Amino acid sequence: MPQTNYQTQQEFFVDMQRCIGCRACEMACAECETNGHESMIHVNYVDRAVTIQTTVQVCMHCDDPVCANVCPADAISKDEFGVVHTANTARCIGCSNCVMACPFGVPKKNEAYDLMMKCNMCYDRTSAGKKPMCATVCPTQALYYGTREEMARMRPNSTPVNNFLFGNEKVSTKVNIMMPKGSTQLIVD
Amino acid sequence: MNTTLNRKAILIATLVSVLVIATVFYGSRKLQNFDPALIGYLFGTVFAFFGIVYRYSVWLQRPPTWMYFKRTWQFVFKGQVFAHLYFFIKEFIQNIGFQKFIYPRGRSRWIGHFLMAVGCTMAFAITFPLTFGWIHFTLNPETSLNPDSVRMYEAHFFGFKVFEFPLGSFIAFFTFHALNWCSWLVIIGVLIFMRRRLTHAGLISIQSFDGDLLPLILLLAISITGLGLTYDYQFMKGMAYDFMAVTHAVTVIMFLIWIPFGKFFHIIQRPAQIGAHIYKREGIKRGMAVCPHTGKEFATQMHIDDLKTVTKELGFDFTRADGTSHLDLSPEGKRSRLGMAHLKARQQDGGKLFG
Amino acid sequence: MAYLPVSPEKLIAQFGPHKNYPSHEGFLGRDEPDAVVKTHCCFCGMQCGIKLLVKKNKVVGFDPWMEFPFNEGRLCPKGVQRYMQNNHPDRLLQPLQRQEGVGFTPVPWDAAMEKTVSEIKRIKAQYGNDAFAMLSGVSLTNEKSYLVGKFARVALKTANLDYNGRLCMVSAGAGNKKAFGLDRISNTFEDLERAEVILVAGANVSETFPTLTHWIWRARDYGAKLIVVDPRVIPLARTADLHLPIRPGTDSALYGAMLKYLADHDMLDHDFINNYTSGFDQALATVKDYTLEWAEEVTGIEKEKIELAAQWWGKAATSFLLHARGIEHHSKGVDNVLGCINLVLATGRIGKPYCGYGTITGQGNGQGGREHGHKCDQLPGNRDITNPEHRKYISQVWGIDEKDMPGKGLTAYELIEAIHRGEVKGLISICFNPLVSLPNNNYVREALEKLEFYMCIDFFMNETARHADIILPGSLHEEEEGTVTTAEGRVVRIRRAVSPPGEARTDTAIILELAERLGAGDKFRYNSSEDIFNELRVASKGGTADYFGITYQKIEEKMGVFWPCPTLDHPGTPRLWEDKKFATPDGKAHFNAVAYREPGEVTDDLYPVVLTTGRVVSQYLSGTQTRRIGKLVDIYPEPKLEIHPELALKYNIHQDELVRVSTRRGTDEFPANIVETIRRDTVFLPYHWPGKKSANQFTPGTLDPISKIPEFKVCACKLEPLGIKAPPSQESNAFASA
Repeated sequence: MPQTNYQTQQEFFVDMQRCIGCRACEMACAECETNGHESMIHVNYVDRAVTIQTTVQVCMHCDDPVCANVCPADAISKDEFGVVHTANTARCIGCSNCVMACPFGVPKKNEAYDLMMKCNMCYDRTSAGKKPMCATVCPTQALYYGTREEMARMRPNSTPVNNFLFGNEKVSTKVNIMMPKGSTQLIVD
Repeated sequence: MNTTLNRKAILIATLVSVLVIATVFYGSRKLQNFDPALIGYLFGTVFAFFGIVYRYSVWLQRPPTWMYFKRTWQFVFKGQVFAHLYFFIKEFIQNIGFQKFIYPRGRSRWIGHFLMAVGCTMAFAITFPLTFGWIHFTLNPETSLNPDSVRMYEAHFFGFKVFEFPLGSFIAFFTFHALNWCSWLVIIGVLIFMRRRLTHAGLISIQSFDGDLLPLILLLAISITGLGLTYDYQFMKGMAYDFMAVTHAVTVIMFLIWIPFGKFFHIIQRPAQIGAHIYKREGIKRGMAVCPHTGKEFATQMHIDDLKTVTKELGFDFTRADGTSHLDLSPEGKRSRLGMAHLKARQQDGGKLFG
Repeated sequence: MAYLPVSPEKLIAQFGPHKNYPSHEGFLGRDEPDAVVKTHCCFCGMQCGIKLLVKKNKVVGFDPWMEFPFNEGRLCPKGVQRYMQNNHPDRLLQPLQRQEGVGFTPVPWDAAMEKTVSEIKRIKAQYGNDAFAMLSGVSLTNEKSYLVGKFARVALKTANLDYNGRLCMVSAGAGNKKAFGLDRISNTFEDLERAEVILVAGANVSETFPTLTHWIWRARDYGAKLIVVDPRVIPLARTADLHLPIRPGTDSALYGAMLKYLADHDMLDHDFINNYTSGFDQALATVKDYTLEWAEEVTGIEKEKIELAAQWWGKAATSFLLHARGIEHHSKGVDNVLGCINLVLATGRIGKPYCGYGTITGQGNGQGGREHGHKCDQLPGNRDITNPEHRKYISQVWGIDEKDMPGKGLTAYELIEAIHRGEVKGLISICFNPLVSLPNNNYVREALEKLEFYMCIDFFMNETARHADIILPGSLHEEEEGTVTTAEGRVVRIRRAVSPPGEARTDTAIILELAERLGAGDKFRYNSSEDIFNELRVASKGGTADYFGITYQKIEEKMGVFWPCPTLDHPGTPRLWEDKKFATPDGKAHFNAVAYREPGEVTDDLYPVVLTTGRVVSQYLSGTQTRRIGKLVDIYPEPKLEIHPELALKYNIHQDELVRVSTRRGTDEFPANIVETIRRDTVFLPYHWPGKKSANQFTPGTLDPISKIPEFKVCACKLEPLGIKAPPSQESNAFASA
């Protein structure tokens, strides 16, 4: 990687229940230069028939990324800042292993490109010291990028959590989600 | 990637390298057709073969890769060999020959890549057999002795005469300059790619010098020094020809040795894409997985089942208490379940949604 | 001759709407733009700050403007995609003339102007000055709004000028003038942050003003209780502390009952009521029978919920009440607004930090545009065209004889009725697409067909423009300098990023030339938008909306100035009424008696279901711009009929099945979306689409007697399932429906 100005004290915080499903993040994501007008972020209704609840999902940048482990082509890598990068275009064979194995449902297979693409936390922006597009525009700040201190000041009754339990598997991530104060992990079953 | 040496892979790579040397020996009719000037290239090539096979073998041993490799051969031996063969050939032409999947990513990107790919594969097709002594050219002795006749050139493959053509003809011009044409294709392709890599903000932010720029520079160097050889003896009366020849040899040998380690390995990996396609095709025939959350089909059941095996082999266990797996969910289902779990966690114990 | 010259399909093929997408590799050279222009988003009253990236006189992208105080870089999907309206294949580049059987053909500017002016003169000579009308819109800047008002009165000399704010904020405006004597939100949105209770009435904040959600969520981070009144569980209501799912058309009953509850339980601010208000006793007397039980019966909201809302509101130390079109688009829109204001006044929570009230202005310049005189009854500075003092002052500013100042004209929908009656024969429209945005649009179409001459100024061929004789290509938001006034009353600068492409001209240049050709050129001598603004400052001086102390320079230095700002050294007024001196003649805030009455159309055996209409997050108003932006269209490709599972079961309607919706005014088919997030007796359709996908073919032309706003939010319909599954939404092509 070239010289960067990546701000290691800045972190990503997600709070899905603030999401209003407006898709500003989705539009803005496509403006990120690294993914060429494809949107990498996900916004979807969790069950539209009964609720208007939407959820928003960026790549959580796992400490031990399942996507990279299951990639048969060694196309996914994690850098020194803990950012898990999108598939190397030369190597990715479009098998979708990562798409189906990611516990957060993040990687996207672009069928026309025969290529997996995923969020790299707006590397063009974060490596230049800027905030990712989605967290910049999010009108509800369900997506926030900044320091832990800023977050603690703004939302003192919530705790950033980066441990998840999917079945028997404990996954820890670089990206945090905001939970009630004192929480230590989110159990998804 | 494994950093310690892999014994299995060394064994396979050594065997293949010995095999290559053997075919060189016999293909050049016990070295009588072998051009000693190309000895450097030969060593480079053999080393490249060793490296490629070594890395390929290591690669195959990774659980996800091995799963695909295994499945592909299972399908082949399970019957419908011709159907698979037809599909394979079709896909090979489309995806390896024409790199169809790159076109939607960008037109200029495809043109650049296609030119480089055609230039490189043609060059491989010419230089490898030349280096190995599998191909060589001779002057037809009859025509060369008869001053009235048109001088004919003969092309030999594995020592057998394949065809002949008159000296000074179009075919001769075309054949003798074949590598030059390859160079021009590669140069144009490289320039298109370099322009992208030097001007596109997104690419600039994520590319690396050795991973993305050096391969282009190397291709450019090979092509330019290669062209230089021709132009040197055509227009510069062979001035400093030795120097030119050595420079060219150095770039080519660097390229060969680097194939197994750098970006060029994708040339070797790419056919696996067809394997992935066959895997999907077969999987669809066997039935789709339905997401328990969305109620929609989202992947082949075989893929999900295989992934459960592969993730376990890799040390991940998404099995739930009731025996089902988190992997049974589609990506959308996973996101929804996470959103619902989060809301529940926010609300429980008289919880707070905000603050 | 305002029939379509050729089939609508042919016009759509040529002039769109077509969906515009960015090149999937992005625009070349965007990372090194020629200019980065700080301006505002054009797509709602929030007027979020945004930076536009310009390359070779084209807008090629955006960058968040992190420093602008209201939104600090935050945007909604429309804001992110706003740059895609520029450089659009549908952009009109030449004046066009209607040609029967052919369509629209390019014509030189001179000929287009000449034709327009001669028709204006002919119609005025033949039928009288008021037979030529003008319709305007509040996506225009303050300068252009002011200019249009002056143009219509001074150059066209017609009384019949009205604007699309008539479909938007007029109920709120009328209510605010009655109660406070001034029409503006009382506080900035930052005052939401520490409000204890926030009541949001009929405002789909999260879809229509997404960036405002931030301030409401901030308040909730500090522990605010949120009450949302809406027939649907809108995204804002999903996590609200209290959601009151009101039956459409019954809002004033709810606020009446709440007022009675506050009085019965003595949760009133007697000091405030006694010293700073008038009319409380009559207001209370009017609601004396509005018990919780009665309110439950009328509104369909459980009385416990109403009681809880009243208790929370009554006990709060600080509060903010916000409302929008949900309570204003009614034949009693003004009553609903006054009902809300009564609650605010009864508790005295106004004119203090974190105590606010206001309407959330919808359109881009909905605030400024409703202050400076392109409304049929208004002159600049929010003056009254029937008030002799006001007429005199403005006549003097404009340099005309007061006698020549036209009187009060007809409102937008009344103009349509007047065309039907044959009283109006000619029309100019700018920034208005009545065929999509007015109610009962089959009736509107018939009116357009009766016009003898119609000229439209727009940058795209909107649905109404297809009926025009002449179309003049005007300018986009980013092609002219100016100012707008945000929903907070903050006057901000719109900057020109690019110049109009092709032969297109700025709206200002078009209007100025028309004025010149109509012989009023001497009254319209401006060299720049700033010249116009400086005249507006003088014209608004002494009015309630006083801009005199606001200059371009001041706006730029302070990133916006809040009116009223009467003198050059005045800092502007972010929070109104801190001195408790209201702008009414007696200086007091007025309670108004609000007696409940039914909506204009109620359900019966023939039309048994309530239909209400609204918006979706990805579209703006009649969609002239947003239905041309591919990614926005794709978010919500076609209007779907939202219906509760119980009602669906009753009519045997299945998910995604086509349902025929009929009212007394129109019939068409829509796919069903069966969701539990709507009242059991109500169905919902969003209104941004034209033709067969239009919701406004169903809505009635019933008007509020004071504000003349049409009743978009309630009518009676019937539903018939067709037994056919609707094709996928992405294939519906609703954005370009004929």
